[in-house]
Amino acid sequence: MIDRIEFLWPEIALFVTTCVVMVLGLSRRIESRRMTALVTGLGLIIAGVLAARTTPIPGPRSGQVLLPELIPYAKVLIASVGSLLLLLQAGTVDRAEEAAIAAGQRPYDPLRTNRAEYYAFFLFSLTGLMLCASADDLIWLFLALELTSLPTYIMVAMSTGRARSREAGVKYFFLGALGAAVFLYGFALIYGGTGSTNLNAIHAHLAAHGLNLTALAGFILAFLGLCFKIAAVPMHFYAADVYQGAAPQVSAFLAFVPKAAGFISILLLTATIGWSYAADAQGPLYTPITQSAYDALEGAVSMGLPEPIRVFLWVIAALTMTVGNVLAILQKSVKRILAYSSIAHSGYMLVAVLAGPNNGTFSQSGLAAVLFYLLVYGVGNLGAFAVLACLEGRPDADGEPAEIEDVDDIRGLWKTRPLLAWVMTLSCLGLMGLPPLLGFFGKLPLFTSGLAAGEIVLVVILGLNSAVAAYYYLRLIKASLIDPPSDADLPATPTPFATRTLAGVLSAAGVVVLAFVGGGLMDRSERAARYTSMMAVAPPPPPRKTPYVPGDDTPFPLPIPIGAR
Amino acid sequence: MMLASLIIVPLAFALFIAVGPERSAARVSLVGMLATLGLSILAAFAFDWGFGGQFQFGMSVDWLPGLGLTLSLGVDSVALMLVLLTAVLGPVCVLASWTAITERVKTYYAWMMVLQAAMIGVFAARDLVFFYICFEFTLIPMFLLIALYGSTNRMRAATKFFLFTFTGSVVALAGLLYVAWHHAQTRGVWTFEIDALELAARTLPPHVQALILGALLLGFAVKVPLFPLHTWLPLAHTEAPTAGSVILAGVLLKLGTYAIYRFVLPFAPEAVIEYAYPLAVLCTIGIIYGGLVCWVQTDVKKLVAYSSVAHLGFCMLGMFALNHAGVTGSVLYMLNHGLSTGALFLLIGMMYERYHTRSMKEIGGLGARMPVWSTFLVFFVMASVGLPGLNGFVGEFLCLMGAFQASDAWGAGLWGTTPGDSTVGGTRGSLGPWVAAVAGTGMIIAAIYLLYMVGKVVFGTLREPPGHASHADHHAGDAHRAAGLPVDLTRREIGALAPIAALCVFLGVYPKPVLDAVQAPVERTVTTIAEARGKPKFRPPVELAPPAEHAAEGAHP
Amino acid sequence: MSDALTLAQQGWPAAFPAVTLAHYLFVSAAMFTVGLIGFLTRRNLIIMFLCTELMFQAAGIALVAFGRYHLDFSGQTFVIFILTVAAAEAAMALALVVLLFRKRETLSADEWTEMKG
Repeated sequence: MIDRIEFLWPEIALFVTTCVVMVLGLSRRIESRRMTALVTGLGLIIAGVLAARTTPIPGPRSGQVLLPELIPYAKVLIASVGSLLLLLQAGTVDRAEEAAIAAGQRPYDPLRTNRAEYYAFFLFSLTGLMLCASADDLIWLFLALELTSLPTYIMVAMSTGRARSREAGVKYFFLGALGAAVFLYGFALIYGGTGSTNLNAIHAHLAAHGLNLTALAGFILAFLGLCFKIAAVPMHFYAADVYQGAAPQVSAFLAFVPKAAGFISILLLTATIGWSYAADAQGPLYTPITQSAYDALEGAVSMGLPEPIRVFLWVIAALTMTVGNVLAILQKSVKRILAYSSIAHSGYMLVAVLAGPNNGTFSQSGLAAVLFYLLVYGVGNLGAFAVLACLEGRPDADGEPAEIEDVDDIRGLWKTRPLLAWVMTLSCLGLMGLPPLLGFFGKLPLFTSGLAAGEIVLVVILGLNSAVAAYYYLRLIKASLIDPPSDADLPATPTPFATRTLAGVLSAAGVVVLAFVGGGLMDRSERAARYTSMMAVAPPPPPRKTPYVPGDDTPFPLPIPIGAR
Repeated sequence: MMLASLIIVPLAFALFIAVGPERSAARVSLVGMLATLGLSILAAFAFDWGFGGQFQFGMSVDWLPGLGLTLSLGVDSVALMLVLLTAVLGPVCVLASWTAITERVKTYYAWMMVLQAAMIGVFAARDLVFFYICFEFTLIPMFLLIALYGSTNRMRAATKFFLFTFTGSVVALAGLLYVAWHHAQTRGVWTFEIDALELAARTLPPHVQALILGALLLGFAVKVPLFPLHTWLPLAHTEAPTAGSVILAGVLLKLGTYAIYRFVLPFAPEAVIEYAYPLAVLCTIGIIYGGLVCWVQTDVKKLVAYSSVAHLGFCMLGMFALNHAGVTGSVLYMLNHGLSTGALFLLIGMMYERYHTRSMKEIGGLGARMPVWSTFLVFFVMASVGLPGLNGFVGEFLCLMGAFQASDAWGAGLWGTTPGDSTVGGTRGSLGPWVAAVAGTGMIIAAIYLLYMVGKVVFGTLREPPGHASHADHHAGDAHRAAGLPVDLTRREIGALAPIAALCVFLGVYPKPVLDAVQAPVERTVTTIAEARGKPKFRPPVELAPPAEHAAEGAHP
Repeated sequence: MSDALTLAQQGWPAAFPAVTLAHYLFVSAAMFTVGLIGFLTRRNLIIMFLCTELMFQAAGIALVAFGRYHLDFSGQTFVIFILTVAAAEAAMALALVVLLFRKRETLSADEWTEMKG
């Protein structure tokens, strides 16, 4: 057990940082209080480095037997997107208060400043997210999920001074508690059905005895509860309201952190169930469903989740994509558009979850596709929200600056703030999945893994949905890049926080640059998705040849280089 | 490297323009386009036309090996000719925008260069995903060109254009990926090399091929556009700026026909044979319908736009004839249509710049006012109608001949032949004289509406829009005077039109070099089809996934 | 051990021969359902929060019962953690409700009107 500490250093580093930040925030000296953000950033970087240095050792030492190499990839991803998110958080709380203290209008009062608490919550949530990635036990997973979510409720409520944010916070909290109760009950039933809370033990039990009804009900309830975290269909309705009510930088946080936690948990649970098993069914629920070509190949192995769970996830994926995209089209508010688009992206990723690891190569493994898409989506979404966080309207009566609300508010950005217009455009194009940006290379493995698992109908639905999504992303691009500036009396002015712009620019640059040099990341995610199962497994991946050896398989004459003739 | 430089040079110039000053954007862009043209001419000289069927200048660089994606390029003679067409139209478009674009000039020319690179990339790609990336990436520049620089209804047109083509191509992507997956299944290698996928796709059973055909056609036929999917085209053309229309008609539509030539025919030959007749009927409907709609247009630009629907109907008809004459004609038609329709859009743009109207109700008899312009208009209309001696004729004739010959009834005792009689030039197929005859009426309709347009605009009594100067030189304040435009064409404008006109004459009078050059690739396509005809309809499923070491032997069917 | 296993599975201790796993599960399921229905139908924030607590505790009962059934302690361990988390959630819920109450002077969820669409 003590071995596991070495896999938990990143979390420990984050936790220590959290404590330091909380103490620092109480300092009388304003310079020390300003340090909190810096210390938070340092903590994140240290955690990222520690995570990167973790050697993934397959086997029980890391706790994760099923996905032995998930931990380093997931934690480095969390730390890097977390750092970008941190850049975006500058000036979220205490803006007026600090200004007043600096101007000497008010003495420093530790009860009135929230800066340290805010960053502490930020770190707590990321710690929880990292813990999710290291989970190998239902109890652990439950605690990690709660640690991820509880701080976010408060972050939403305190993100702006407006009543709207508090309302959003309360709404988010109540529905979050409902979601938690549902997956908790699911966990209880899984435990009941398999007699263990350890994921590896559960997997072994399922491999030996098949899936019984109690465990099946448990898994279904657990997925249903996790749908709240990823904002998938039956539990999606909070997303638009909460994203709208929270400050844009917090919405960006919500769109990534709980979603990543949900997807990592879903991956762990589906890995526990397993995508492949002997076709000579163990238990009635293991009837083979997907006639992938591997059937013909091996005869003994069937691919795909057990039928009820497959159908359940299939329906959720299809509905989530469609509902998210259709509702996004109907919205006026930029934040609501992005909220519904983030719902749709959850649907896309569920397709790959459903597809499973297949033969484990990047182009066919759904797990790798999900892990890679989390990055793609995280970066693209962050850029779009960063643009909103960089702009604000005139302050209202309470001194609270108005937020960018309607699509009309970002009209004519190309003239007033060309940089932000380009950030918005690139992020939207990236999220749309237009080649040659990163979004396309994220979406391509979703398609191919779905095809490899034989989910052709779902892949076609995915394709059509991508096309529908183009419509509302185009609206955002049109507003920011094409329309003339609006002459309304609330011109959007930039917020005085350069780091927010930096976050936006970095993520937009990521959307472009990673598309060309992302090969290494793809390899990493492929490795992170390595799946070891006790069940009958698909044949090992064929050795990867150089993709095209001229002359190997073409009867036509080769291209003649000019010099050769 | 030749091809890579053809893509990199425009991109580099786009970067120069983006960082350079606003004033010099147009000039830098012209230099960039001319450099691209020069490079492509160099490529044409370096190309061994004797081996036109082979992909030359091949190169391959790993891009994202995890996805099996390489940056591999290569052209055969068909692709190279389309690259040349693109390169020729580039400088012409810049010249056409010289005075027309006054706002956000840098953005305009930078995107123009990017578009040029993407279009060349489509023709030069030998990797499926790289092809798709370029194919899709043409959308953004074109969207912006229409949305930023178009006329009143531009936003709607741009959005419709984008959504139609994007939706179609996503479905096409699903089809292409299915083929790639099938290749991975049967060969154990995940690759997007077009040659390898071609072979894999042909082993698919006919009903799957039919699905592939459907998916690919949904994507590519939108771009062509084939009859029921054409509705975005007239709108986009009428709203686009002149150069946008020229590129749209000249090259972007060819991306669709080229994709069908490059992917649909070799990937799903059996399905194409099976569905050639309904597809040919769609083409014919497009020809007749497009022609009839042209007839009733008063907006000159819309008329030419709809004429594109009809013309590309011919082009596709030749392709679906699936025989030598038809496919040759179709390839030729791509070039010819790009030249003559592109030039017509240029001419209309020049007229619009002077009169700010395109309605035939408001203008007429311009022959007296703008003799040079009128000469060019009559010339290109003749080319477009298919007057023998000009370029339009050869392609159109070959397309119709292909359709005429492509009938199984030839040699079966019908049409006055005896079985086995190939002396009359019959080939196997399901089209035949009737389809050709109906499509042939389209030529007559084309002659009617185009000449009718010429009659109204060039001849007859002089009519100019109300408020426009009847004697321009007396009204120095007129818009066109402000833009520095004389009544008739400037030397810059003539310089844009003259090379196209020269090419039209050359291709019309002496098409032999082009016809010879496309022989080999067309022969290859036709052979593919002929092989597919010989295959039994029902056959046992393909042997799946030989282990990697047997992969090499499994290749040859 | 095997004796104990059989006994437990038959509903030991014998003083309650009729009480088996199914009974506990029934109570737990009933509590969960009541909680869920209550959450969806009631509009008072405090009551809604109590309903989620009810659902949490329903899971707790199921876990204890399953733990006994499997003769395994992880179920009961799980319950301890659930209680802790539930306490944390309660503190947060009350804080948030007070925050909202100061502004609105009402506890009804129907007052969530700021955001629509």
